[in-house]
Amino acid sequence: MTNFIDYFLGGVSTGAIIALMALALVLVWRSTRVVNFAQLGQAMITSFIALTVRDATGSWLLALLVAMASGLVVGVIVYFLVIRAVKRLDTSGAIIATFGVLIALQALAGMVWGGDQKAFPPPISNSGYEVFGRTWPFSPYDLLVVVMLIVLVLIMTIVFTRTSVGLAMRASAFNPEVARLSGVRVSRMLILGWAIAGLVGAVAGVLVAPLSTLSPTSFDLFLVFAFTAAVIGGLDSLVGAVAFGIGTGLVISLVSGYTDSGNAPVVALLLLVLNLLFKPEGVFSHHKARAV
Amino acid sequence: MSKLSSLTERAPGSRLVTHALIALVIFGILTWFNQIVDPLMSYYLATAAMYATAMFGMTILVGLSGQVSLGNGALMAVGGYVFALTSLNWQTVPILGTPWNALWSMVFAGIGGVVFGLLIGGVAARLRGPYLAGLTLGIAVGVPAIANRFPGLLGGENGLMLQVPYPAGGYASIDDGFDEEFIDDGGGESFVDDEPIYEELPDEFFEEAPLDDSLEDPLAEEDMLTDDDFLSEDDFLTEDDFATDEGFESDAGSDPDSMAEEDMLTEDDFLSEDDFLTEDDFATEEGFESDIDPGGQEDFVDDPDLADSGAGADLDLAGVDSGFVIEQWQASVAVAVACIVGFLALNLVRGRQGRVWQAVRDDPVAAAVSGISPSGSKVSAFVVSSLFAALAGAVFAQILSYVGPGAFALGLSLSLLVGIVLGGRNSLIGAMIGAVILVWLPEFVLSLAADRGWEDQVTNNAPNFIYGLLVVLVVLAAPGGLVGGVQDLVKRVTRR
Repeated sequence: MTNFIDYFLGGVSTGAIIALMALALVLVWRSTRVVNFAQLGQAMITSFIALTVRDATGSWLLALLVAMASGLVVGVIVYFLVIRAVKRLDTSGAIIATFGVLIALQALAGMVWGGDQKAFPPPISNSGYEVFGRTWPFSPYDLLVVVMLIVLVLIMTIVFTRTSVGLAMRASAFNPEVARLSGVRVSRMLILGWAIAGLVGAVAGVLVAPLSTLSPTSFDLFLVFAFTAAVIGGLDSLVGAVAFGIGTGLVISLVSGYTDSGNAPVVALLLLVLNLLFKPEGVFSHHKARAV
Repeated sequence: MSKLSSLTERAPGSRLVTHALIALVIFGILTWFNQIVDPLMSYYLATAAMYATAMFGMTILVGLSGQVSLGNGALMAVGGYVFALTSLNWQTVPILGTPWNALWSMVFAGIGGVVFGLLIGGVAARLRGPYLAGLTLGIAVGVPAIANRFPGLLGGENGLMLQVPYPAGGYASIDDGFDEEFIDDGGGESFVDDEPIYEELPDEFFEEAPLDDSLEDPLAEEDMLTDDDFLSEDDFLTEDDFATDEGFESDAGSDPDSMAEEDMLTEDDFLSEDDFLTEDDFATEEGFESDIDPGGQEDFVDDPDLADSGAGADLDLAGVDSGFVIEQWQASVAVAVACIVGFLALNLVRGRQGRVWQAVRDDPVAAAVSGISPSGSKVSAFVVSSLFAALAGAVFAQILSYVGPGAFALGLSLSLLVGIVLGGRNSLIGAMIGAVILVWLPEFVLSLAADRGWEDQVTNNAPNFIYGLLVVLVVLAAPGGLVGGVQDLVKRVTRR
């Protein structure tokens, strides 16, 4: 039982980060009906930028802010690259374009920062709290991660439900034609969606880097996890992304704990296959995933 | 399943003959080419033919059937592992009881590919665009991880060294471009972002020189012979031991233990495994290659005693010929497989089934109304591309003399996608051009980097950076790839 609690606690912060990454995927999907497979590549680049800033100034907070800002910018750039493809072409073209961006970003990071695994020190202690005479696998840093997720989700909820920009964004996602007729500048809303996704992804990247190491390809696995969570959540549901992001993190932690951490990708794949077989439209959504 | 049976339908006889002629002519040209070029070029040819084999399947799956798949690298892994396991473990063919040979391993690799194609296609063909891409992405990441989970059977992270069934007497020849070939393997298993070992190894190998000593040694020929046996045989244990020793001797960074630890720390990062494995594999091979002096090749060939002992010492594989170049052998195997697969693909693409795939891609409802089962058509595309990928994986295993999770990592799947997109995703010629691009571009960048004096980390990543940009550019500007672009150009010119 203590094992279970340990593995469970150990999965919380991972789950929160997967939730953030899934959120980024969902934000992009909602605005333009594209799964941005380059999202984690963008997060990787902004994490490297953050690491550079952190090494230069010693300030983690400044690094985070710079990462968020660069996440916005990279998000907009990728929007202009990929969305042009969507407008001109089929969905295959858009998917391939996002992979092209991913490949280019990973190579760019390798060219600028090298391919080594780089340590990204956490801003606060990463060793577990000691309560009742034993060390629990939940550290102040894990707490920070969870708090960041909650804050971001709260901000986004308020923006989407209480502000006119949020309303315009939801309208653009829900029905671009009608939104346009109602005076919403849809294309700006779509860009905004990609920009916010880039920002959220950047936060996720900066948060996950201290939990392992940072390299051009160190987020590959998280892309699979985040995609799994986003798809099970329904791809266009923010709630679903958060819920199943955390859920995926917990499952991965439990499986890694009880068996072997190498099983994590296999389990994620299994979850994905089961979901796509039995409830392909996701739990929190009702649009169709199946073609036939 | 009715659609699957239609796979075996043949186009009318005349077309069949035409296609056979095309395949034969290409086979003839490439075989001739293989005979006249140096071994390095043969190696490129082998790699390109291997890519082309897999990408014929991508043409059908991504191009004609419109299913963007990243799983084909994983399907190549299936073929590679089946090839490795059957050739390592089975002495005779089950049921038939005839002696085992590499051809049987190819057959079983193909069967494995079809089975996995059915499994994955059955799930994947029900999904549309992004869901399918995400699922196959999971497969590309997950399947190599499965190999990690069964260290006993599948060799775990370190993979399996193969006993590649070369005819006796083969040797890896020298080539002038040691660095180039070395890094080409980075290109071959493209998307290796970090290749620090490539930078360090060559010098150290040459300086360390327990091998080079033998060059001046009067017994060089015998040494060479021993090495040659070693290479030809590719004995699993010996090779492994050797690689380990080599790692200890030559490079602290390649200490297997420390590397393994690194790998464990970064299990999500396949690339470091990639480096590790590639280094072992090729360090060994290259070490020997550097050992053989070019003049010695003729000595070796001409000397019957050496050739005999070379053939007889350790090899139980019957010696067919002596004194040929292993790269040429690999290239001829790869070219033969590519031409057979290309012939099959040509018949499928230009026959009824090709039109069925395109009909379903362009309008599934209309296709269904015409009596075509959309899901059946999509599954069949998956099965065919999976068969081709598995055969390519078996060839890949022979080229590397090795299978392992690092060799079939996500980067391989992305390479295939890049190649097919750049070449042209709707045509088999596009697949061939894409295969050539995948082999040529890293070499081109390397020579460029040598001229300009780029840093290594820039040089190693530049090909992928160019790939990525080119893919985006092609998707935006010329969705048909190089072939489609040329076709458009020709159309415009002829119209005016």
